[in-house]
Amino acid sequence: MKKLQIEKGEGISKTKLTRRTFVKGTAVACAGMAMGGPVLRALSTKGTAQAGNLSQGEWVSSFCTGCTAWCTKQIYVVNGRAVKIRGNPNSKSNGINSCPRAHLALQQCYDPDRLKTPMKRTNPRKGRNEDPGFVPISWDEAVGMLADRIIELRRDNEVHKFMVMRGRYTALNALLYDRVPKIIGSPNNISHSSICAEAEKMRYFQEGQWAYMQYDIPKTRYVLLWGADPLVANRGASSYLNSWGHALDNARIASVEPRLSGTGSKCDEWLPVKPGYDGALATAMAHTILTEGMWYKPFVGDFIDEVNRFEPGKTVNEHMFLERHTHGLVKWWNIVLKDATPEWAETICGVPAQQIRRVALGFAAAAPNCISWVGGGPAMQPRGSYGCLAANALSGLVGGCDNEGGVLTYNSRSYKGYPSPGDFQDDIAKQGLKYEKIDQRGRLEWPNLARGGSGAGVNTNNVADAINSEDPYHIKVAVGFFNNFNFSCPGTKRWDQAMSKVDFFAHLTTHASEMSFYADVVLPVKNCMFEQWASLDHCSNGHRSVSLSQPAIKSVWDAKAMETEFSWILAEKLAERGFDNLHRYLKTIVDPETGRTPTTAEEFDLYACKHLMQHFWDPAATKGGDKFSGWEEFKKIGVWNSDPYNYRARWSNMGTATGKFEFYSQTLKDSLENHAQKHGVSVDRVMEACNYEARGELAFVPHHEEPYEWGSTQEYPFKFVDYKARLNREGRSANCPWYMELKDLDPGDLAYDDVAKLNPVDGERLGIKTGDKVRLTSPIGSITCTAALWEGTQPGTVAKAFGQGHWAYGRWAAKVFGKEPRGANNNDIIPTDNDRLSGSTAFYGHIRIKVEKV
Amino acid sequence: MPNYAMVIDLQLCTGCGGCIIGCKNENNLPEGVRWSNKITETLGRFPHVRYHYRPTLCNHCENAPCVRGCPTRALYKTKDGITAHDPDKCIGCRYCMVNCPYGAVNYTWNKPHQEWEDNTEIIPGCTYSPRGLVNAVDAKGWPIFNPDPDVNYKAIRPTGVIEKCHFCLHRVEAGDLPYCVEVCPSNARVFGDLDDPNSKVNELLGMFRAEQLRPELGTRPKVFYIREFCPCAYEPGKGMI
Repeated sequence: MKKLQIEKGEGISKTKLTRRTFVKGTAVACAGMAMGGPVLRALSTKGTAQAGNLSQGEWVSSFCTGCTAWCTKQIYVVNGRAVKIRGNPNSKSNGINSCPRAHLALQQCYDPDRLKTPMKRTNPRKGRNEDPGFVPISWDEAVGMLADRIIELRRDNEVHKFMVMRGRYTALNALLYDRVPKIIGSPNNISHSSICAEAEKMRYFQEGQWAYMQYDIPKTRYVLLWGADPLVANRGASSYLNSWGHALDNARIASVEPRLSGTGSKCDEWLPVKPGYDGALATAMAHTILTEGMWYKPFVGDFIDEVNRFEPGKTVNEHMFLERHTHGLVKWWNIVLKDATPEWAETICGVPAQQIRRVALGFAAAAPNCISWVGGGPAMQPRGSYGCLAANALSGLVGGCDNEGGVLTYNSRSYKGYPSPGDFQDDIAKQGLKYEKIDQRGRLEWPNLARGGSGAGVNTNNVADAINSEDPYHIKVAVGFFNNFNFSCPGTKRWDQAMSKVDFFAHLTTHASEMSFYADVVLPVKNCMFEQWASLDHCSNGHRSVSLSQPAIKSVWDAKAMETEFSWILAEKLAERGFDNLHRYLKTIVDPETGRTPTTAEEFDLYACKHLMQHFWDPAATKGGDKFSGWEEFKKIGVWNSDPYNYRARWSNMGTATGKFEFYSQTLKDSLENHAQKHGVSVDRVMEACNYEARGELAFVPHHEEPYEWGSTQEYPFKFVDYKARLNREGRSANCPWYMELKDLDPGDLAYDDVAKLNPVDGERLGIKTGDKVRLTSPIGSITCTAALWEGTQPGTVAKAFGQGHWAYGRWAAKVFGKEPRGANNNDIIPTDNDRLSGSTAFYGHIRIKVEKV
Repeated sequence: MPNYAMVIDLQLCTGCGGCIIGCKNENNLPEGVRWSNKITETLGRFPHVRYHYRPTLCNHCENAPCVRGCPTRALYKTKDGITAHDPDKCIGCRYCMVNCPYGAVNYTWNKPHQEWEDNTEIIPGCTYSPRGLVNAVDAKGWPIFNPDPDVNYKAIRPTGVIEKCHFCLHRVEAGDLPYCVEVCPSNARVFGDLDDPNSKVNELLGMFRAEQLRPELGTRPKVFYIREFCPCAYEPGKGMI
C-alpha cells in the first residue's frame, strides 16, 4: 500500500489535496503563464454569480432528505426555479460534495405527478383494487373534515384511537409528531424508525450509543464493512465518496457481504458470507485476534504478567486479566470465543478459515486506527442484535472505538427544544395518554430496548397487525406524514388491509403514494428541501453540520409545510370547533428576535424554525462551534459547524452500566432483567418468547445465532438478498426519470429494468438467461421481474434491489398508475419478522425463495 | 491558447455516476442520451470476482475523426482544443457516429424532452400534466432547464442533429470547470491545459503511465486514465501453484 505520509505513533494524518486547493493552485499557475487565454477560476464558494454570460442565479442553503445522512446542500436558483444542487461549501462535513442521488431531488421537486391541491376520496370502499375517485377540495374543507373527526373522538373520550405516523421528517417534527397527539390526548405517535436501522443501534449495549455513527475514513488504516455499502447507500455517501480513493492508499478495506456490493468493488477483498452468518464470522475473527495476542492493549488491557492465555478451547481465569477501558473480555472468551475458531466458522459461514484469519490479523495489525463498520446487513435480521454486537465488538478489541481512524459518535449539537405541552393537556388528553400504544411495544415478546428501556422503541411494522386484530384497540382516525408504509414495510398486504380498516385517514405527502390510496383526504405538502423553513443535521469528517432550508423557489403547488403550517391550520380548525388548546400552545412559540406571536401558518413556520435553531444563529445563545452575527448572516451561510471531534473522550465514559466498552454487556443484562421482571418471568423466558437461541449468560455477550428462516430448503432453495439501489431516495425517487434511466449504476443491474441477480452457475442449472422473466416466490408471496446473471452474486442466493414495484407514486414509477406496478417490490415477498430486542423489522437473512422461469 | 485535456483518476473514481447525472443536468440531455457515460466489466469467477468501472466521455481527440469526416464542418475544433458542434450547420447525416471509435456522438430520433409535452394529469384536477408543470414554472423543454449552454451551443439541441460533450465549453469560457468535474464527489477528474508543463494534468501524466482509449487508431485522445479502479493488494509468493 502506498501512503502519502506516514507518521509514527497513534493516528495518521496526510496532506489532503482538495478540489478547492487544486483549483486554487491551477488558477495561480495559469495566471502566471496565461497570455490572454481563459483562466479557470476557483470553484465559486460565494453565494451568487457565475461569470460571463452564464445565468445569474443564487446558491441557497438546504439539506438533503434522500437518506438519513441529511448532507448539507445548496440549491442553485435562477428566477425562482431550482436548476442544480451541490453540497454546501460552507460545511466542514460533506463540504461541496454530493452523492449522485442528491441531484434527483430536483426531479422529485419538479415532478408532474406531485399533488398540487388537497383532495378527498369519493369512493367510500377502500381496497387494493378500489379507485378512490379523488377530487380536489380546499385546505379549509380538508382539514375541517379531519378536525371534525378529532372533535368526535374527544367528545366520546376516545382520543387514544387517534394516531400520527411519521416517515421522513425535519428537525421541526416534534410539533406534529409529538405535540399534536399529546395535546389531543393520544399515546400513538408512531415513527418509521424500526423499518430503518434500529438494530444497528444495539451498539448501545456495548458503548452507550443508541445512535448512528460517523466513520473516520480520512485517518483510518483498516475498514471492515459488515453489510454496509457506504459508497452507494445510507449513510453519509457524499463524504465517503470523497475520501474513499485516498483511503485505498492508506488503508486496507474488506467487505463482508453476501453479494459484491458497489463498495465491495472498491475494496481490497470481499468476504462473501452466507446470509445470516455474520455473527459466526465476527466471533471467529475475535477468537483469532485474542489467540494471536493482537488485541489493542492500551484500550483493552492485558494479562497481569503479559503472558497470553487465550488458547483455543481453554477457559481463562478472569482474575488474571486487567482490563482498562473495557469490561468482560475474559467472560466473553469463556462463554463464546474459546470455541469460535475460524475452522468452525468456515463450515457454517462459507468464508475460508484462512481468509478469516488473514483479515482478522490484518485488521488488528492496523490497530487502533480501525473501523468495524456495522451496517444494516448483519443487524436487521431476526436475532440480528447479536450479529450487530459481534461485529461491533471488533472495534473495541482493536481500540478503534472513539479513536483516530475509527468509529466515532456524532459531535454534539444543540437544537432548542419546544415548550412542554403539559399546561395544554386537559383531562381528556391525560386520560387518553394512559392507554397502551397501538404498536404493542413493551409486551413480553416486544422488548424494543431503545436506550435500554423496556418497550422504549417503536414497532412500526407491527402496527398493521395491531390494527387488523384491534389489539389493543381499533384506530378510528389517523394522520400520516412523509410515509408510505404500504410500500416500505415487509408484508405489504397487511398494510393494505389495515389502512382499509382505519375509519378516517389523512395523508400528508408530496405524491399520491400507495398509502394515499387508502386515505380519505390527501394533503399536499411542501418539499422541505426547497419550499419552507426547516433544518436537518449531518455528521462526517469529524464535524456536525446543522443546515437550514429556506423557501428558495417559486412554489406552484397549493402545499403546506407538513410539521408547522399543517399543525397550525389543524389547530385553527380545532379552535373553531371549541378546542383551542393546540392553537394556544403553538402561539407560545414566538419569533426569538422580535418576540412576535405568529398570526399565520407561514409566520409560524418561520418562527418555529428560528426558535429551534437559536443556539446556532444567535450570538447570545451560542453553545460552541461556528458563530454568527445573527439570523440574517446565518441565512446566507446556511449551515452551522460544530467544533472538531474530541477523540477518546468516551473511553471509560461510555454511557454503559460500567462506563466501559462492554464485551460482556452488563447494560443488556440489566435491561433484559428489567423487562423480564416487568412480566414476572426469567430472562430465558424472554429470549424464548422473542425467538432467540441464547439462554443463560450467552444472552449478554456477542455470539452467533443460527439464522431463523422462513420456508424449507427443499421448497425454497435460494436465499433472498435485498439491498438498496444507488439512486434510491429511500422509496421516493422511482418517479424521477433519471432513476430508471440510470438503473445500471448498480453493479450487475440493467437500465430501465428491475432485475433479480443470480450467479451464472445457478442460471445455467435452472435454464435461466439474462433478460428472462422470473417469478420469485417466498412463503408469503410472489413477484415477477427480470433475471440477470451476474458473477458478483453468491451461488444459492438471489440479489435484488429495493426501490421499484410502485403501483402508485406517479406515471413513471408505476406501469399503470393506481393499478399495475413497474418492476417488483421486495416487500411483497419479505416475510414479516423482527429482531425483537431492538424492535427492528427484519429485511435480511430470513428470506427463502424459489425461482421459476415465467 | 490552452489545449484542454482531462485526467481521470480511476482509484479516486467510485463509480457513483455523479458525472453522468451532472452532465444530463447541466446540458439538458434528453431522456436516454448520455454524453458522460461508463464502461463496466465484471471479471473473475465467484468468489474471486471484481467489478470495474471506467467513466467515459468525448475524448476531444487532437486528430478527431468526427471532425475530419463531417461534410458540413458542423463538428470543429475550438481554439482551446475542444471538439465542439454547431447544430446550425449539422445536417444529421451521422457520419460522425460511424467515424467516432468511442461511441461518444449521440443522436435521438425523438423530439428532445417530448415526454414533457404530455397533457395528461394522472389525477385530474389534482396534479399537473408534464406540459402544465413546465409552463407553470416558466421553463423550456423540461422543468429543470438550464439556459447556460445557449451561450455557445444550443441549450436543447433540436431534432435531427447529433449532440455531444463539449467539455462544457460555455462554462470553460466563463472560467468554470466542466460540470462533470465540478460535481464529481470523489475529485476523480482533473481538467487543465496539456500545453502548460506546470498544469496538474501534466503533473499527473508525468507521474503515472496514463492510458488512453484505443490510441492505436491515431486519434490522439485527450482523456487520460491513471491508476486502477480497484487497486487490490495480494499476498505475494514464489509461483504460488
